[in-house]
Amino acid sequence: MKDSVSKRILRWFDPGSVLLLAAIVAGLYNFVDWSQVTSLDFSIVITYWYPLTTAAAMTISVTATALVLGLLIGVGLAVLLELPIGPLRYIINIYIELWRNTPLIVQLFWVHFGLPALTGVSTTAYQSGLLALTLQSSAYLADIARAGIQAVPKGQWDAIKALSLPGRTRWLEVILPQALKVMIPPLGNLAVSFLNGSALLGVLNVGELMTVSAKISDYTSRPVEIMTVVALLYLAINLITTHLTNRLERFTQRRP
Amino acid sequence: MISFNVDEIIRNLPDLWVGLQYTLILVFVSLAVGTVIGLAACLGRLLGQGLLFALCTGYTTIFRGIPETVLMFWLYYCAPLLGGVRPSSMAAALIAMSLYLGAMLSEVFRGGILAVPKGQTEAARSLGIPEVWVWINVILPQAFRIVIPPLIGVAALAVKVSGIASTIGVAELVYQANIIAGQSYRYFELFTAVALFYFMILFPMSMIAKRYERKFAMRTR
Amino acid sequence: MSNHQNGEVIVQCTNVCKSYGSFVALKNINLNVRKGDVVCIVGPSGGGKSTFLRTINGLEEINSGTIVFDGITIPGPSKNIRMIRREAGMVFQSFNLFPHMTVRKNLTLAPMRARGISPDEANQRAERLLNRVGIGNQIDKYPDQLSGGQQQRVAIARALAMEPKVMLFDEPTSALDPEMVKEVLEVVRELAVSGMTMIIVTHEIGFAREISSRMVFMMDGAIVVDSRPKTFFEGMPDPRLQTFLSKVL
Repeated sequence: MKDSVSKRILRWFDPGSVLLLAAIVAGLYNFVDWSQVTSLDFSIVITYWYPLTTAAAMTISVTATALVLGLLIGVGLAVLLELPIGPLRYIINIYIELWRNTPLIVQLFWVHFGLPALTGVSTTAYQSGLLALTLQSSAYLADIARAGIQAVPKGQWDAIKALSLPGRTRWLEVILPQALKVMIPPLGNLAVSFLNGSALLGVLNVGELMTVSAKISDYTSRPVEIMTVVALLYLAINLITTHLTNRLERFTQRRP
Repeated sequence: MISFNVDEIIRNLPDLWVGLQYTLILVFVSLAVGTVIGLAACLGRLLGQGLLFALCTGYTTIFRGIPETVLMFWLYYCAPLLGGVRPSSMAAALIAMSLYLGAMLSEVFRGGILAVPKGQTEAARSLGIPEVWVWINVILPQAFRIVIPPLIGVAALAVKVSGIASTIGVAELVYQANIIAGQSYRYFELFTAVALFYFMILFPMSMIAKRYERKFAMRTR
Repeated sequence: MSNHQNGEVIVQCTNVCKSYGSFVALKNINLNVRKGDVVCIVGPSGGGKSTFLRTINGLEEINSGTIVFDGITIPGPSKNIRMIRREAGMVFQSFNLFPHMTVRKNLTLAPMRARGISPDEANQRAERLLNRVGIGNQIDKYPDQLSGGQQQRVAIARALAMEPKVMLFDEPTSALDPEMVKEVLEVVRELAVSGMTMIIVTHEIGFAREISSRMVFMMDGAIVVDSRPKTFFEGMPDPRLQTFLSKVL
């Protein structure tokens, strides 16, 4: 029951979507100044490939560092939440809710400009950026870790008690590995969202991709080329991250 | 020790209030437009064949994979060069946010519709109910319930992302705080206050979403 | 044991085949069902019984062969499947009641939307059918307020509300707690006795033996045995059937 090739091509171009495509093309034709488009010079991107790639690397490293540190803190907090100490859990929950329910940009300014007033310690832009990202990610990750721990079957806890496993073994070898498996999909989403969030560090001139691309755009007066390529760069980084996360998820599913 | 100067905050409340109004405009308008876009893109992905499907999937992939910051910058600085149009910072921010939220919402809607158990549609179709009514009476009502918590999540996201508009000059809450703090150097007080304002909006939303999520988990079988 | 008038053939399956990729789920199924027949399909899990049942009302697509249901042929124009679905009622293993609607709405939705019946008549029909399955007083409850056995009886009533010519049952009691299986089987029995044409996929072999007019044994996607109950349980020399029966009886 295979359709002929021509039929399949026709099915691809059904009337509704052709109309939509026509509308988009018409819109572009009217709004876009094509003389400008032809004068675009993408070679400028190649000239600046080195600063752009180093900046991209910094974006990845800042996000990764913040996520790893955040994961350690977050898992630690989630474990502490399991302890039956009321006030401690209260404080941890407040911490989590505070960092999850405020915008990153506000946290950024608060950490960089406001915190020194409190602690007397002045942080560099990079340190502030990393700190803000880490603290926010730790809150999100604590929540994800908490869900992951809850997802571990109740029977595991019974087995642990029956075998009298000590604290460290209990967590490190039984509960957390199982919790981590469940945590991978939301972790992937979080990674993408923090990679996007790292672009905010540009306002503090931290030196990651957004900072650098803004500077180059300004210097060369060619924002279109630079920014378009940068957007595609971010897109590429995000797609690769999602792909890797999916592979990781499939890999962990294989072992029973 | 630090001195927390509460007067500072009180004195500047009027300006902050103006900022908050801009924030709310940004949030509501972009959510409204985003919902329309999101619904269209979602249906295009679920029901469309070939070209429509590709366009909608392309849209959601691209606009979820690009940082909001980059999008706003691009629209504000690059669009004037490409087209004849020079959007105001508010317009650029609204367009950027609508496109970004639209992509997020399309995923949320799609997730909701796909989460309706397959048995429901099978049962409805087995009864001979015409497809239109299967959607209206069986699929959409159930998808709607599923979709409420993540919808609130996207609304919260809208509030958080609105702060980025300050970088291109929209006079919303973060912008105002920056201006004020730039003059008085009282960053700590101002940003703590602003953080608390956002918190007072976002925290209730998060609680409501959680309650809905629990309520929903109990209802279906 | 039941005596039916064997009427004309209402479901005719000829050389029906279906594969999922390289896995062949149904191999040349040939089955004729007459009006009034109660056909019970049994066999080991994964043998294709449910898949076959679902091809009859178009929930599964067939790769080759034909199915003629009350004169309507699959494969054919898409409206054929829609017409068949109005005349074939299906009861699922997992009930699939609409959780956001009351029992009443569950029963009246399809007749109103698919047959255009007035709300009054649909309501009357609903009440009548619910009484027939024994839970008339639950009509304004929501599915999650009912027990599994009650829900399945509602599901049966919902399918009956469309006044179908044939009722298809896909393992109707497999998801029920043991103490509720009986109440549902009673309803199925009552339907059979009243003359409804039925095709039932089930694991309840003893029950099948009691009510069926025809027993079908399916294994590995093919019909191995298709005979009257007496011969099926006492006379068939087929070794695979014997192995199966020895395990379940």
